[in-house]
Amino acid sequence: MENQYSTIFVVDISQNPDEVDTVSSRIQQLIEDHGGVIKKIDRWGKRRLAYSINKNTHGFYVEIEFSANSRLNIPRILEGEYRLNDRVLRFLSYTITKKELIQRSINSGKAKARKLEQAEKEIEKQPVVEKEAKIPASEEPIQADAPVESENLKKPESSEPEKTSEEVESIEEEKSSEEEKTFDEEKKPEKVEEDESSKEENKNEKIEN
Amino acid sequence: MLQRKKRVCRFCESGDIYIDFRDEKRLVRFLTEQGKIVPRRTSGNCNEHQRQLAQAIKRARHLAMIPFVSDIPR
Repeated sequence: MENQYSTIFVVDISQNPDEVDTVSSRIQQLIEDHGGVIKKIDRWGKRRLAYSINKNTHGFYVEIEFSANSRLNIPRILEGEYRLNDRVLRFLSYTITKKELIQRSINSGKAKARKLEQAEKEIEKQPVVEKEAKIPASEEPIQADAPVESENLKKPESSEPEKTSEEVESIEEEKSSEEEKTFDEEKKPEKVEEDESSKEENKNEKIEN
Repeated sequence: MLQRKKRVCRFCESGDIYIDFRDEKRLVRFLTEQGKIVPRRTSGNCNEHQRQLAQAIKRARHLAMIPFVSDIPR
């Protein structure tokens, strides 16, 4: 069966930066010699490693995508090469699943949509700039009046009738539920605190009822 | 009286089918401070996506894109 593969390897470039080319060309040669077809070569570039490998803090990431028959067993051949080569710090070869391919097509569709949106925005922006340039004199009096209006607007907001205790509670509940939604992104200790505070609120409600 | 809203899996919400390990910024969100994988009961992920996420995190760890352990030195 024809499979899509992806192989990623991290090259040690602490001693010789040219090592990247020699290693990647060797891998490409191996793939092609054994009957694989290279689809894409992606150089991620020099990156900081999350943890040191053989006392290296940085490595050069290269990704090669290729398709080959599963009987050829190319990932295993590559593994042998990777293990022999001292300059390769880490490697990962895997078959690309259908789901990943579908996801990529979805993402590329989204990217296209974003580009279109940006293009539309740029088109919208251009006439606006021209208008501002044409009438600079008429803007000045409006700006002078603006702060006075905003002050008038702010005062009634602050002097709203005081909320009853029930209303305040309901608002607090809403807030806590909102926080619960977002805490997944935040770190654990904060979450625990939120839980405790929500429990306290619940207790108070029960007592009143 | 108290009706907690059912949390929906983030990946289901965004309509993702596959979680890519190359997207490390997204993976880091589902790690604790120490670098552990956040359990399903806290992350709210569905079964399918949690398994994909675990796979992605393990691949990213192997390639030194995210740490196995990141503890604050005392």
